[in-house]
This record gives sequence, structure tokens and C-alpha cells, in this order.
Amino acid sequence: MGMMGTDWRTLSCKSCSSFPVLHVSALAGKPGRLDKAGRILYLNDMPEIATPEMLPGTIREAEENPRSALEPGYLVICWNDPVNFMDYVTHVFQQVFHWPLQKARHHMLQVHQQGKSVLVRESLEKAEYYVHSLQKYTLHATMERDE
Amino acid sequence: MLAAVLSQYPCLPPAHQPLSRNGQGPDTLADQRLLDEALADQRRDNQRQLTRLLADTTRFRQSDKGWRLSLAPGDAEWVLQILNDIRVGSWAKLGSPDDLDELRGDQPNPDVGLMETAGYFQMRLLAGLRTPPDHPKR
Repeated sequence: MGMMGTDWRTLSCKSCSSFPVLHVSALAGKPGRLDKAGRILYLNDMPEIATPEMLPGTIREAEENPRSALEPGYLVICWNDPVNFMDYVTHVFQQVFHWPLQKARHHMLQVHQQGKSVLVRESLEKAEYYVHSLQKYTLHATMERDE
Repeated sequence: MLAAVLSQYPCLPPAHQPLSRNGQGPDTLADQRLLDEALADQRRDNQRQLTRLLADTTRFRQSDKGWRLSLAPGDAEWVLQILNDIRVGSWAKLGSPDDLDELRGDQPNPDVGLMETAGYFQMRLLAGLRTPPDHPKR
């Protein structure tokens, strides 16, 4: 990882092989010693240890969702069957998830037309709570691990 | 007739449904047991409320158009749950057929009648919930 604001140059010296040195401007006014010939030798000083650049967004994201990357999610799925009325299913979705009518109807139609609908993705405990609530209304609902 | 239908509760056998189809989860058996217990508790609560409702004769009033049932705002949900339990339970007793039209044959079947009647009252209750309180039809 390179240092910020520095410029590596190679200086050739008659009495020594070339070696990388810091640009003069990064030395903060510290010239090298004069060699016997009166030439300035740039000292191969210990470079400052650079601190890695941290993108603020990365840290913030980890702090906001510390668990989502570690815990698996669970999908709450409602399955189609021939016995539950569409109006009833819509009503139950509104009651359990507090969805507006349009959203509840959208998921009901998914169940009806595609055989199932993934209603939410949640933690284990929340997914269990939602499945309990849906099964109390005798809807065909299960929870499955989100792979 | 509604009282006769409601008195059939519970109709669905316990542990009717699994918590998960794939059996995934940290402790599937324990989680299934929790679900079964929660549903059993709910069934007991609903039965208690139903017994109270059927015993309260002020809730049922006869009018020139028939009988009228008065429900408090919080009652509608558990009555819906009971009616759907009866409907789905009757369907399960009939072998859970995919096509309900197969059930509508020439021979009268009490389970078919119960399933359809519970469904009728469900739809009436849902329509009543959607109707505003000051609607002229009320």
C-alpha cells in the first residue's frame, strides 16, 4: 500500500548504487548529510507507516447491519391451496403484516397464480412469529432458510 | 344456522401443518413443538370466546330480514379464524381434494355442506368488515 502524498524517486549516486528515496518535499526540511565530495546524500530513512485509507461507507454499513451478514435469513412463504378464499387471504395479510390493501392483494395473486409467495425475509424468531400468526388463520404458510 | 356451524369448532386436527417444508432450522423439532403449542393455546382461547358468544343471547337479534349477530370490533378476527378452521377442516376430512367441484355431486354430504356454509359466513363477515359503519345498507 503506497504512502499518501509521496513521490518515490530513484537517485543515482556515483559512490553508491541507486536506491529509492523520498522526494525532498516529503522529508519536511530534513536534508541529508553532505558526503565527502559535498554532495547531498539523501538518507534512506524509515518511511512513515501509512495508515490505510478507510472508506466511510464500509464501516457505517457494518455498524448498521452487524448481524445481517452473519445470521441466515428465513423466508416466510404462503402456499396456494384450493380452499382458502382470495379475499380471506388478502385480509389475513393485511392483519398480520399491516400491509396496505394493494400490497396484500399483490402477494395474494402471487400465491394464486404462481403457487406461492415469499412474504418476508426475517430472522429466525420473527419468521416463526409470522408463520405462527398465519397458521392461526389456517393459511398454508411455512418458513424456509434463505440459501 | 351460524350457531350450528360455529359449534362444530374445532374441525381441523391439531398439528395439521409443518412449520417448514424442508425441515430447516437450528432446532426443527423444538420449533415445531412450539408452533403446535401456540396453535393449541389459540384453539383453547377461541373456544372460550365462542362459548361466551353463544351463551350471550343479546348478541343475536331477530329482525324481519332474519337474524342479526352483533360483534365487537375485536371479535371479528377470532370468528373468522374459527370459520376458516371449520372450512379447511371439512375440506381435510373430505380428503383435501384439489378440485372443489368434484365435491358437488348428487349425494348430499354433511362435510361439504359444512365447508360451504362456513365459507358463506366468512364472506359475509369480510364484506361487513369492509363496509363503513354509517353505510346505508347497515
